[in-house]
Amino acid sequence: MIARERLVLDALLPPGGPEGLPGVFEAGFEAWEQGFAADAPPTMRVGWRAALFVAYWISPVLIARLPPLGRLNADERERALEAMGKSRFYLMRQCFLLLKAVTSFGYGSTTTVRRVVGYHAG
Amino acid sequence: MRVDGAKGEKFDEVFDYVVVGSGAAGATAARALASTGRSVCVLEEGAAIDPKTFGDDAWGAFKTMFRDMNGQVARGRAFIPVIQGRTLGGSTVINSAIVWRIPDDVLAEWEALGLGDALPAKELHKNWDAIEKDLDVAPTPPEAWGGFNKLMHDGAAKLGVLAEPTRRYASGCRGTSRCLTGCPSGAKRSMLTTYLPQAEAQGAVIVTGAEARKIVVKHGRAVAVEGRLAAPGFPAFTAKARLAVVVAASAIQTPQLLARSGVRSAHLGEHFMGHPGTPISGLFDENANLWHGATQGYDATHHRRDGRFKIETIGLPPEVVFARLPGAGRRWKEKMALAKRSTVFAVQTRAWAEGSVREGPFGADIKYDLGRRDMMQIRRGLRFAAEMLFAAGAREVWPGVYGLPEKILPGEEALLEHGPDNPGSYSWILSHLFGTARMAAHASAGVVGHDFAVHGVPNLVVADSAVFPSNLGVNPQHAIMAVARLCAERLAERT
Repeated sequence: MIARERLVLDALLPPGGPEGLPGVFEAGFEAWEQGFAADAPPTMRVGWRAALFVAYWISPVLIARLPPLGRLNADERERALEAMGKSRFYLMRQCFLLLKAVTSFGYGSTTTVRRVVGYHAG
Repeated sequence: MRVDGAKGEKFDEVFDYVVVGSGAAGATAARALASTGRSVCVLEEGAAIDPKTFGDDAWGAFKTMFRDMNGQVARGRAFIPVIQGRTLGGSTVINSAIVWRIPDDVLAEWEALGLGDALPAKELHKNWDAIEKDLDVAPTPPEAWGGFNKLMHDGAAKLGVLAEPTRRYASGCRGTSRCLTGCPSGAKRSMLTTYLPQAEAQGAVIVTGAEARKIVVKHGRAVAVEGRLAAPGFPAFTAKARLAVVVAASAIQTPQLLARSGVRSAHLGEHFMGHPGTPISGLFDENANLWHGATQGYDATHHRRDGRFKIETIGLPPEVVFARLPGAGRRWKEKMALAKRSTVFAVQTRAWAEGSVREGPFGADIKYDLGRRDMMQIRRGLRFAAEMLFAAGAREVWPGVYGLPEKILPGEEALLEHGPDNPGSYSWILSHLFGTARMAAHASAGVVGHDFAVHGVPNLVVADSAVFPSNLGVNPQHAIMAVARLCAERLAERT
């Protein structure tokens, strides 16, 4: 992953927070993402990269800030990403959904996160 | 005999029957045909996954057992994921093994369409009796309900509405909530562990990693299936059929295969129908035990007829639950921390919408758009689901609908019924797929005749839900199996 993609994901699931849930990279997402990028069908890979691109370069505009996302402070980054999900443009909301879905598949399948949220495989 | 096409293994290439597809329809037809003592070959595009290796993470399952790694979508005003298995046993490996006979009112509709003789209720019920005995069907027992199924039970009881433990092919279910990723306990009677091994024991050859690309038709008869194996270089194969080719590849793949094989009909790939579903979550004060219980162990059919929707419980792995929780950053994590106190109900509607399926440059090109009546049904369903959640003790519900508040409090359920009309405001999945090679007496009205044969090609039959003239309003595996068995019995009689 390149630096700006890491920045987007770090804003999406930052370190710290409730009940000891780790940040996205503390949970080992980067290794999972390498596997995803290798295995996923081309359309899914392209969609994932596009969603990261849009989050970095366009989401700040949605809260009336100049891009890229890296210029904003932590609160503003979260607000910018949330604004993608509340955008009146369907494709923007779809980008946000894809961003969260792929991130969630990697993050939520890790042992650490599952233990914290009380999941035990039956 | 098993043949792994991904390893380039060879197989005897001449059979009495060649069956394309190994899901509910293909496995049922193959077993019925193999029981006649004739030779049968089953072609499955996906791989055979050993149930001992089933994991519990969604992406791992998507990679190995779902079509397009669960990236298949229908396009209309919304992109709707279309869920299908692509593995030996098809969708029966990854669904919740739900058993519904076709309701009498739906059978009456089919009879009114002139299909009373082709799909007689008496014969279907006879087949259902046999299948239920084979696969040990039972309602989900209370010990497998877990937390979230009990919540629907409690909510429905409080409202006095019709809801019951779901009947499933899963007696002995331990309530691991892992139907989606493959049953780890073996309780689910998927085709992978039941009818396919039984067909194999009767002599059927099961070929995995074998994608059927074309049915060869000569002088008005289907004589072979050509395709490619999943081995390096994609070597070609030909499976010759002495008596008939049975297509049971699903309402998405069947019309594409028939079209590639030269079948021409104005109805081929048209009339595509389904049961679109949308989730709604409720937040409770106590742990709702979201990850323990039969994946879909309870459903509410109170409005199946007057509202054309039913409500189902659904247990999902954390990563799937997280994906639709609201927020980003710390707020998303706060919701994740609450996930164990939440539960998800799904509204599944018998939509009126009809779409189409064609072969596109990147796989199936599925067009499907929900209409105004469908959206009204969904909104009523969401309100009803919210009422049940509140009756069960939810303090708030999360509709996940663009244009509605992020959370709805008790007394505000009516907001859901007046939500947006645009399908793009909701999150969806589309499962239970029908109608793309529909049955009709005459070629002018459908793709296959009352004998399940493609009009003009008497030994090319379609055994899956593509032949259904409409959707059902209930989960279709049991219907598909009974119809496939009927198709196979009739084929065996006349060939």
